[in-house]
Amino acid sequence: MPDTETAFQITDEMRAQIGIESEPWTYEVTTTSVRMYARGIGSEDPIHYDVDFAKQQGFRSIVAPLGYIGTPVYLPGSNDPTFGFPRRASGPHLNIPFKGLLDGGTETEYFDVICAGDVLEETSHLADLKLREGARPMLFITNESVYKDKATGKVVAKQRLTSIHM
Amino acid sequence: MAQQAYFEDVEVGQQLPPIKITPDKQQLVKFAAGSGDFNPLHFDEKFPMLKPMGLTENIVHGRFKYAQVGRAVFAFAGYKGRVKRFGVSYRGMDLLNREITVGGVVTAKREENGEHLVDLDVWTEDAEGKKTTPGTAVVALPKRGS
Repeated sequence: MPDTETAFQITDEMRAQIGIESEPWTYEVTTTSVRMYARGIGSEDPIHYDVDFAKQQGFRSIVAPLGYIGTPVYLPGSNDPTFGFPRRASGPHLNIPFKGLLDGGTETEYFDVICAGDVLEETSHLADLKLREGARPMLFITNESVYKDKATGKVVAKQRLTSIHM
Repeated sequence: MAQQAYFEDVEVGQQLPPIKITPDKQQLVKFAAGSGDFNPLHFDEKFPMLKPMGLTENIVHGRFKYAQVGRAVFAFAGYKGRVKRFGVSYRGMDLLNREITVGGVVTAKREENGEHLVDLDVWTEDAEGKKTTPGTAVVALPKRGS
């Protein structure tokens, strides 16, 4: 492991972490959580609020706004208190020297519409590592989460999050 | 919700109706509650991490801007359309109480595996016209009579 940021290189040991699956975590999509997210983004579309209206449009219940794939079940001591994401023992662990962190991007692929009442099982894995070399190297880490409907086992969405470390 | 768009009627170069939003602190607190992201960077102007960045105001969540792009894409798809994919890169910071405009344009139409797909370029733009959250989306639209 290099001891400085400028000497940083992606090692074979780090690449070997790509694809290692985390343990699953439950994400819930509820009528209240969908409405709260919709309020959070300033949407007034009744499809996110009114169950009867959503059913009249052919949906199972109110529809989750794009970008919202449920809320991870929160267990004190097991989730990050600021961000809420689960702290899992299994899955990839990278030891990197960078202190700076930026959100690089978000991409979601949908295989079904996500509605209130859905209970999802999420697993995540390290999908990609890229180093932009230079006077101040930047490490791009992409994690992919796969969300399955717990009742059917069907994959309903995949989301890729890229973080930039420098 | 705008009128349902149909595949036959969409043209390459067509612009999505813009969405404008000026997020204030209450809006970002609501988003924190809805998303579960309680990073004080987004609602506490005295949060120590802001000063080294030369900022005295809070930063809008990247995921808030992603969701605004999502609103525009969802509105374009209509209730009968299906969003297949949408992604953005976070290229610039937006600050509290500044207007953000969400835009998009149709770049291609194609048929694939029986679906009628529309490709879009999408973005958020700050008050100075800089695209701070550029991205792309793919939407499946219904055909008339289907």
